[in-house]
Amino acid sequence: METSFAITGKGYVLMAADTTAARSIVKMKTDEDKIKTLSPHLLMAYSGEPGDTVQFAEYVERNIRLYQIRNVYALRPAAAASWIRRSLAESLRSRKPYSVNLLLGGYDTSSYNPQLFWIDYLGTMTEVPFAAHGYGAYFALSLLDRYHDPSASLEEGLDTLRRCIDEVSKRLVVTPGKYKVKIVDKDGVREIEL
Amino acid sequence: MARRYDSRTTIFSPEGRLYQIEYAMEAISHAGTVLGVLAKDGVVLAAEKKVTGKLLDLSSAKDGGYGGSGEKIYLLNSNVIGGVAGLTADANSLVNYARTAAQRHLLQYNEDIPVELLAQRLCDMKQGYTQFGGLRPFGVSLLYAGYDPHYQFQLYHSDPSGNYSGWKATCIGANNGTAQSLLKQEYKDDILVKDAIGLVLRTMSKTMDSTTLNSEKLEFAVLTLDPETKRPNAKIYRPAEIDALLLSEGLTKQDDDTEMKAT
Amino acid sequence: MSRSYDRALTVFSPDGHLFQVEYALEAVRKGTCAVGVRGKDVVVLGVEKKSILQLQDPRTVRKVVMLDDHVCLAFAGLTADGRVLIDKARIECQSHRLTVEDPVTVEYITRHIAGIQQRYTQSGGVRPFGISTLIVGFDPHDSTPRLYQTEPSGIYSAWKANAIGRSSKTVREFLEKNHRDDLSREESIKLTIKSLLEVVQTGAKNIEISVMESYGKVTNLELSEIEAIVSEIEREKEAEAERKRSRLAATAAGQAAMTQRAEES
Repeated sequence: METSFAITGKGYVLMAADTTAARSIVKMKTDEDKIKTLSPHLLMAYSGEPGDTVQFAEYVERNIRLYQIRNVYALRPAAAASWIRRSLAESLRSRKPYSVNLLLGGYDTSSYNPQLFWIDYLGTMTEVPFAAHGYGAYFALSLLDRYHDPSASLEEGLDTLRRCIDEVSKRLVVTPGKYKVKIVDKDGVREIEL
Repeated sequence: MARRYDSRTTIFSPEGRLYQIEYAMEAISHAGTVLGVLAKDGVVLAAEKKVTGKLLDLSSAKDGGYGGSGEKIYLLNSNVIGGVAGLTADANSLVNYARTAAQRHLLQYNEDIPVELLAQRLCDMKQGYTQFGGLRPFGVSLLYAGYDPHYQFQLYHSDPSGNYSGWKATCIGANNGTAQSLLKQEYKDDILVKDAIGLVLRTMSKTMDSTTLNSEKLEFAVLTLDPETKRPNAKIYRPAEIDALLLSEGLTKQDDDTEMKAT
Repeated sequence: MSRSYDRALTVFSPDGHLFQVEYALEAVRKGTCAVGVRGKDVVVLGVEKKSILQLQDPRTVRKVVMLDDHVCLAFAGLTADGRVLIDKARIECQSHRLTVEDPVTVEYITRHIAGIQQRYTQSGGVRPFGISTLIVGFDPHDSTPRLYQTEPSGIYSAWKANAIGRSSKTVREFLEKNHRDDLSREESIKLTIKSLLEVVQTGAKNIEISVMESYGKVTNLELSEIEAIVSEIEREKEAEAERKRSRLAATAAGQAAMTQRAEES
């Protein structure tokens, strides 16, 4: 079952998403990347209705890229988040709305801050220190309440993330198995092995 | 006959020139001067008003709106001030368009529009008016003084063709050549706002046709960062403030008559 | 009356010319010069930069722009027209990626740009774009460098090396004499600069060079690098002139000796 987490730390945002593509009760593949790199300092983890997610993520990706090519600099994370939320909200009021939940993690290169936004398919958006989507959220949020530290080093952050993943695999009926983990900080985006 | 001209206002001449644009620029070179100087900690903008008649009632502007007397210098967005030179009626519609564009950006991205992007928005429109049939170009040049987190303080200039460029100090309107060379001599790269104000006023007083320099002839604005909130603070001076400023800078020009009497 | 607005501005003259298109080409000929050179596995764009005024911000004066990760464009002519056309091309690049999941090929985007330019020579109430463009890049999964040109008329064509803008004829003739198919990176850059120096008298500070070596790998040369190449070219030219002088002197001396001998006899 789809699960994604994100936590902020000292100068970074960590994001993790499961890699299962499933239809009904059947796993189709287990190496799907559900975290897109939108710009040099911006990551987006998406989950929800399978067709919608990819379609919407690609639409967002191309528009954010267009902005960067037009203006040389990329959109700041907060501006990108507002635009994405607006797109979702407009889609919700259309004939066929996208059913997509998003976590948006970025590093603002002009204020030197990591930022994390939680967005759901109804167009709700909040800036948060940590966030989760999917069934995993039921277990992870209380853990994060207890263990999250906004000034944690990368190692400490990864430990907290492992704790969440372990808890989900321990308690959830159907566990996702593998996760892909990515980080965004002042140096940009890269993948991390847990 | 009308048919022959109205749909082909802006077309290439045999030498590949667009005369309508060149004429529009000519019109601007007679308009009231607008002068901008980019400083390390802000941007300064000043403009010369052409008073059209002695009986013109300026009282409504005296304490109007956000500070400007609404003829040459406008607030385009909370982070951008614009100065216009050229046809006032055209300028009004461009200012309106700029404000709408800035608000549209705010609605879409929830951030103040980057200054260069705002200049581009206006230039795209201006360019369109030089290419599509039945339209004449806008007879307006603008200076944009603004701030955004990408490039900090900026000063741009755009002309009727839809070109724009960034400047450290520049001038549009009447006598812009003189002002430009004065600025070139006196501008220093690390100039601060308080010195830039002096530079702007001194240059203005030298290039203006009129002998008196006072709030009836001058509009003035400064964009700085609020030291506490770190947000841009656009201040367009009220007439009384301009007079006070001129006094403190020692630039209140006297009428020739009184000057002669004094000597 | 209203019908007059949707009439095309560009119409055939009795002798079969499209004058507006020809005049637009004149506007291009007034623009700053741009040169494209294709090497063996590299493609170079060089442009003449107008002198930046002392108080102007050099960042805002751009002549070579990116359309996508792997396509660059330089133009000559009306700057404002250029900006608008570039914007349309950039949108198409991303839109193409969204619809077919592949980046555009260089030919595709050239054809698209030329198509827009053509429309503006035919449809109602508009004047043509007053710009020519040089488009360079690499196709996805391919290592052949590409160079295309478009014109106000909407003609597009592929080139090994070409120039647009001011004095482009002189530069093109120079390129025709000096271009080879197997130019290395350094040789391509040098040829680009050398050909630009045919029209740019003021040297390195008015030249901008962009080099694309493979898919998405673009470098803009620093002023110091361009200066180094310019002075190298000048040294070579001087040496060449010196050789010519000494050869002339030698022949002159020979002739003098001969006449002397003739007189003596």
